[in-house]
Amino acid sequence: MIEELRKKAEELLKNGTVKVVFGYGEGSTPERTRPVFITKPEDVNKLTWNKYCVYNLTTYLKRQETRKLGKPALILKGCDARTIIVLLKECQIKREDVYIIGVTCDGVGDPLATKCEACDVHTPLIYDDLVGEKRENKEVPFEERYAELDEYEKLGEKEKWEFWQKQFEKCIKCYACSNICPLCFCDRCIVEKNQPQWIDPSAHPRGNLSWNVTRAYHLAGRCINCEECQRVCPVDIPLNLLNKKLAKEAEKSFNYRPGYNIDDELAMSTYKEDDDQDFFK
Amino acid sequence: MEKLLNKNNFDSLITGLKKQGYKTIAPRKDNRLVTLEEIQDANEISLDHVITNNSIKEYFLPKTEKILSYTIDKNKVEIEEPEGFAVKSVIFGSRPCDAFSLPVMDKVFNWDCVDKFWVERREAVTIVTISCDKCDSYCFCTSVGLAPDAKQGSDVLLTKISNDDYLVETVTEKGENLIKELESVFSDPPSDTPDRQVATVEKKFDISKIKPWLDENFEHDVWDDFSNKCIGCGACTFVCPTCHCFDIVDECTMTKGDRVKNWDGCQFKMFTMHTSGHNPRSTQGMRWRQRIMHKFKYYVEKFDSTLCVGCGRCSRVCPADMNISEMLEIIETEAGK
Repeated sequence: MIEELRKKAEELLKNGTVKVVFGYGEGSTPERTRPVFITKPEDVNKLTWNKYCVYNLTTYLKRQETRKLGKPALILKGCDARTIIVLLKECQIKREDVYIIGVTCDGVGDPLATKCEACDVHTPLIYDDLVGEKRENKEVPFEERYAELDEYEKLGEKEKWEFWQKQFEKCIKCYACSNICPLCFCDRCIVEKNQPQWIDPSAHPRGNLSWNVTRAYHLAGRCINCEECQRVCPVDIPLNLLNKKLAKEAEKSFNYRPGYNIDDELAMSTYKEDDDQDFFK
Repeated sequence: MEKLLNKNNFDSLITGLKKQGYKTIAPRKDNRLVTLEEIQDANEISLDHVITNNSIKEYFLPKTEKILSYTIDKNKVEIEEPEGFAVKSVIFGSRPCDAFSLPVMDKVFNWDCVDKFWVERREAVTIVTISCDKCDSYCFCTSVGLAPDAKQGSDVLLTKISNDDYLVETVTEKGENLIKELESVFSDPPSDTPDRQVATVEKKFDISKIKPWLDENFEHDVWDDFSNKCIGCGACTFVCPTCHCFDIVDECTMTKGDRVKNWDGCQFKMFTMHTSGHNPRSTQGMRWRQRIMHKFKYYVEKFDSTLCVGCGRCSRVCPADMNISEMLEIIETEAGK
C-alpha cells in the first residue's frame, strides 16, 4: 500500500495535477508518524502508511503556510474525508481545489482509537483515487455509534458538572484542540476577540469552562469525530466526550450526520421558513 | 551532607513535612498522566515514570494568577495587592532538568524588574529532586550541559542506589536545614561507594555548534521547512519549564477588576499581532525561529545561559511531532557544512 501511495503521489506531482501531497511520514519514534508535505517527485519515498497515521491532514487546508504550497493532494482516511464534505458544504474549499487520495483503513492507533471502534467509513465516501482494497461500509446502529457515552450519560446532573469541572481544571489554554481541528477555521477565533471579551483568556475555572464549552458548541452538528482534539490535548481532557454528546443530540434532533452526504442540508446553518423542526422555531 | 533514605520511610517523610508546616507537591499518577500535584499521603507518589507531564514551572509561575485588584470610584482608584501566594512547600521528586530550570529563570525574573511573585515563591519552596533512573528517546539533558543526576537548582538530590534505598545529598543550606528538621527519617549513608542507578541519556548534538550558526542564519530555509507542519498552538511553550512569556489582562467591569497574568506563547499568531493589523512574525516559520533563537541565542547573550534544559516535553506533546532535538541536530549538520 505504501508503494501504491508513493506511485500515485509521484504521478500527480510529475504530471502537474497537484503542487504538493499532504501525507504521512516517519515520526520521531516508531510509534509516531508526522505530517509531510511532498513537493518534489523524488521525495515521495518519505511517504509512509501504518496504524500510527492518526492525523486528519485536512487541518492543513486552513493554514496559510501549507496553503501557499499550491494545489494539494491529500491522503485521507474515511473519517478524514468526511471533513472535506463539511468544508465543501461550508464553502471553505472548492472541490476542484483539492485532489483526494482516499485510503481504505481498518483503524489507527495502538491501542485502537475510540473513533475506529464504530467506524462506518472504512472506505472514504469521497475521493479522486482510492488506494487499498475497497471495503464495504457497513452501517453501524445508532446506539453502537454512541456507546462511548453510555457511562457518562448515567451520571446525574451534579455528577456531570463535577466531572467536567475536574477535567476543565486541567486546561492550560494552549488551544491545541482548536488549532488542530480542521473545522475550527476562523481566522480570528472568538477567544481572541476582546471588544467585548466574550471568553476570559485566563485558565481559571470560569475561563476554562467558557472556552471548552464554546469550542464544543461551535462544532455541534459539524464535528466529524476525527478525535484530533482529544489526541493532542496535553492535559488529557476527554474532549471527544463533549463532541460526541453534541453529535448525538444533533443527530437525534435533526436526523443529520455531518460529512456523509454532500446533498444533505447543514443542520446548524441552513435557514428555511418552512423548517420542519418545530422545536427550533 | 549525605544521608540514606529508605522507600519505607517515605510515609514518615511526608507526615514529617506536614507536621513541619510544609505543603508537599509530588508526582502523582492520574489516569494517563503523571503530574506534580499537592499530595497528602506517600502512597500517592509515583516513582516509575520518566518525567512528569507538567513541569515545575507552574509552582512559581502559575498558568493564571491575579497580580492586583482595583476599584474605581469617582475620585479615586483603590488597589489591592494579593497576599499569601508564597506557601511554604516542598517539591518532592521533581527531575534534575526541572530543578535546573529554576536558576535559569531566576536570571530573567530578577533582571530589570524583580518579579516578587517568582522571588517570594522561590524562597518559600524547597526542591527535593530524584535523579532519573530511566529516560526516553525525547530526553536530551546531556546535550545542553546537564545530566540525569545534575544538582543545579535542587536543594536536596536523591539518587536510587538499590531497589529501596536512595542516597540523599544536600546541595544548599536550605536543603540541609530541611534534612535536619526531619532527621529521624534518614539514616547514615553507606560507608562504601554506592552503585548510583542513573539513566544514560544519549548526547544528541554539540551545543557549542548551535549559537555560532544561529548568529549567522536568521534568514534560512530551515525555519519554514521544519515548521510547516506546526499547527500554531501553545502546547510546546506551556509544558516547557523555561518558557516564561506571559500576557496581562484586566478582567473587569466599569468600576472594579482584577489584573491577571496568564501564560502566553510565541507560537501563537496573535502573540505579536499589532493593533494596526501588522504582524512582524507573520508566518509560523518566523515564530518557530523565535522559539529556537530565544532559547539558544538571545537568552545566552543576555544571561549567559541556555533557555532549555533538555526535558523533551515539547517534543512529547507536539500535535504534529515537531522534535526540538531533531531541529538542533539539523542545525549542527548545517553548521558543519
